[in-house]
Amino acid sequence: MTSAVAAEARGSWFQEKILLGMRPGEYLRSLLTPFNGVAAFICMVGVPLLLYRFYAGLGATTNLSQTQPWGVWIGFDMMTGIALAAGGFTIGAAVEIFGLEEYHAIERPAILTGFLGYLMAVVGLIADLGKPWNMVQIFAQNGTRSVLFEVAWCVVCYTLVLSLEFAVPFFEWLGLRRLYQPLRKILLALTVLSVMFSSMHQSALGSLFIIAPGKLHPLWWSPWIFAFFFITAVIAGISMVIVESSISHRIFASQLRGHHVDADALTIGLGKAGAVVLFAYFFLKLQGVIDNHAWGYIGQGFLGKWWLVEMLGFVLLPSLLYAWGARHRRADVVRVAGVIAVLGIILNRVNVSMVAWDYENPDHYLPSWMELWVSLTLVTIGVLAFRWIVLRMPVLREPADLAAEH
Amino acid sequence: MKMRRRTFLKLAGAAGAAAAGTQARAAFGDAAGAGESSVLVDTTLCVGCRACEAACAEANRLPEPPAGDRVLDQVRKTSPTSLTVVNRFEAPDGGPRFAKRQCMHCVEPACASACPVRALDKLPNGPVTYHPERCMGCRYCLVACPFEIPKYEYAKAVPTVKKCTFCAARQAQGLAPACTSVCPSGALTFGKRGALLEEAKRRVYGSPGKYVHHVYGEHEAGGTNWLYISDVDFSRLDLKVTVADASYPQLVKGALGVPPFVMTLWPPLLMGIYAFSHRKREVASREGGKQGGGEASHD
Amino acid sequence: MTGHEFLSTYPAKLLEYTLGVGYLLLFIPFWRYVRGGQAVRVAATARRAVRAAGATATSWFTVPDGVLLHPGHTWARPAGDGLVEVGLDDFAARLLGPVERMGLPPPGSAVAQGSPALLARDGDKLVPLVSPVDGTVAEVNPAVEREGAWQEEPYGAGWLFKVRPTRLPSNARQLFSGAAARRWLEQAGESLAARAAPRLGAVLQDGGAPVPGIARELSPERWDELCREYFRS
Repeated sequence: MTSAVAAEARGSWFQEKILLGMRPGEYLRSLLTPFNGVAAFICMVGVPLLLYRFYAGLGATTNLSQTQPWGVWIGFDMMTGIALAAGGFTIGAAVEIFGLEEYHAIERPAILTGFLGYLMAVVGLIADLGKPWNMVQIFAQNGTRSVLFEVAWCVVCYTLVLSLEFAVPFFEWLGLRRLYQPLRKILLALTVLSVMFSSMHQSALGSLFIIAPGKLHPLWWSPWIFAFFFITAVIAGISMVIVESSISHRIFASQLRGHHVDADALTIGLGKAGAVVLFAYFFLKLQGVIDNHAWGYIGQGFLGKWWLVEMLGFVLLPSLLYAWGARHRRADVVRVAGVIAVLGIILNRVNVSMVAWDYENPDHYLPSWMELWVSLTLVTIGVLAFRWIVLRMPVLREPADLAAEH
Repeated sequence: MKMRRRTFLKLAGAAGAAAAGTQARAAFGDAAGAGESSVLVDTTLCVGCRACEAACAEANRLPEPPAGDRVLDQVRKTSPTSLTVVNRFEAPDGGPRFAKRQCMHCVEPACASACPVRALDKLPNGPVTYHPERCMGCRYCLVACPFEIPKYEYAKAVPTVKKCTFCAARQAQGLAPACTSVCPSGALTFGKRGALLEEAKRRVYGSPGKYVHHVYGEHEAGGTNWLYISDVDFSRLDLKVTVADASYPQLVKGALGVPPFVMTLWPPLLMGIYAFSHRKREVASREGGKQGGGEASHD
Repeated sequence: MTGHEFLSTYPAKLLEYTLGVGYLLLFIPFWRYVRGGQAVRVAATARRAVRAAGATATSWFTVPDGVLLHPGHTWARPAGDGLVEVGLDDFAARLLGPVERMGLPPPGSAVAQGSPALLARDGDKLVPLVSPVDGTVAEVNPAVEREGAWQEEPYGAGWLFKVRPTRLPSNARQLFSGAAARRWLEQAGESLAARAAPRLGAVLQDGGAPVPGIARELSPERWDELCREYFRS
């Protein structure tokens, strides 16, 4: 590169890095899309709502009660968010540990989804805690008998690991070779740690409920609930990556210019894994119900039937769809199965924390509109952050130096 | 030192009680939490005066409970401003029965084991106390308690958890809890768990037709320090009878063992898989011929 | 545990074991069902056939140093005086074969990286090719009218047009050069090989003799679609 060209490159760093190479006016105009409009509206209501919650307290903004202490912010934002962010460790493990190099192309988006998912889960948690500034007490007190102690420590450690993993494309974007080179070298260690920490806290989120057998419906409560939560996290990881990559590859096709990814082949491969794991999970849940002597509850009353809806419609069905789609090389069918599986994981976490919880209470919990709106805002911010990062950093596309090294 | 008659009698009584206590300890010494502070609630003796509520509110600087008997028309639960409530129920013979509700101060408290920052903590002498300066408001204690006792101050911007703390400060000074020290009818007896269990059984078996043959709190949740005896079914007194007869924190023991297990087992397991798959790739690329040379080994 | 509870565990455990055995019996056919299917095996055989033929894809298509290659098989090379030469690569030239007319963008028009800028036309078949850089077209190569210039010398006299680039540094990050470019063409060759190994080996090992476009060999009816696939247009 001539020095003139290099000078030009330096001078417009902000324009190139932040404004996608457009002039400020041009860039702002490019932001005027319907999607952005809706997202802005959601955030303009949601962010003040969040601040209002800190000002006015939980009673004024949520429908939480003495018998329903955990609502949407814990049940959905934290628990479901963490489950759906499991793609980071599943694909990371697939590529770095199991050696399935062909999934390399979707490893970084999965890690990014994981990183943003955990960040948003933590924000949701902070919104829910009565005195979030006392979170530091986790490190000051010996609360080791508590499952929540382990969850908190693990989530902190894992978010650190994720941020180190995400730091690689971040520093590549900034061209800071001295920072990303050493991080790339320890990627294997980071991946082992990420699988380890994820296994620990994904399962521990389920263990939280072991202490309350009388309050969680017998079809969902089990002393083995930690195994169920871990396996559904793996399912969530696989399925979210299928869904996220099919959306990303369509919307961010510009990032894939210069980079050939056979998304269909990868989707079908993931579909095979999803089929088998969902199949095993279906039978595992049955074993759990029998172990708990709870088969009599199946089909009885609303919750007995709702359990069947969850198991047959959102576990068995996606398993069979995955199987059929993978066998017949139908990536579109696999994607549909992926969506159903993701909905199934959301349903499971929502059921355990809210629907099947405090089930004998006639006064049932329904979230307030403010709780729902704040949740929606957090999801929207996560999506916007994902898009901002993917359009600028080498997440979907190869980093320049790696492409040249090949 | 000169000893006065009253003091002598007190000492003699204490010695006798101690002897009886030793005997009680021998019989119930292996009972869980035998040496912990405990209260025996005899609902046949409670007249519903609610002096205990007033004393509790005064000792904890809470608003005065509503006066008069109209309040007894509704079955109340404890709340952030009333750490104990007395409810009225109807017995089969048509007469009223009263039952005091408050924290059960379990021998193995689910709430304290659940609290990740030890804001709820068990004192060795029995009370389950609360440290608001540690509490981060996660409300896991509300999730855990099988008696649904902890109450959260949802209405406040800086909320804390509210429940009876067994007047731990008073107990540290050698005093009885506020509620037991004002009870006029003797429905509340403060003592050590082992001795009170013996007393409870003595009353139950001493008047066979009168009491229900069960000491509520002997085994519930693995044993609680607030023990109840009654002449009507406990379920009629708004006491949860579906509480398991085992310690709730013990339920979690197996699951608590999983994370350290994973920390130990996963690294060698994962590295073994890595080494195995890495070796397979090396072998494959060598067999792949000239083309294979391009495969960089990413570490 | 009361005696009744103790005894009730027996039927539960029996049920669990039965379910476990039933599950294992179901798992075997399920696994085979999911893993069944054919597409993967075909590609593998094709690749093995190519290797057996002894040819290596590296020798099929070439790209010189100094050229920035776009994955859509067009290239850019700074030409001095601020302009950038643009052409199509060896792979594109041989995939396409001779065409009736190569439509070039008029001087002064804007081109964008990854967007179609050239149009090859043969009969009723149209094959667009994309521009490797952003910029304004400064001049077109008059020699393009002379048929075969870009066929014989795709990197030299066969350049197609020159562009005044607007974002060369950031465009360059999306382009291959040197070893990466050679590898890209190698992959393109392997991908062709997977389509029909035996005939292709013979066609390419011919070397030198003019052949009609490879695309027409592989897919006489739909060669334009085949080209568009590789040219990202």
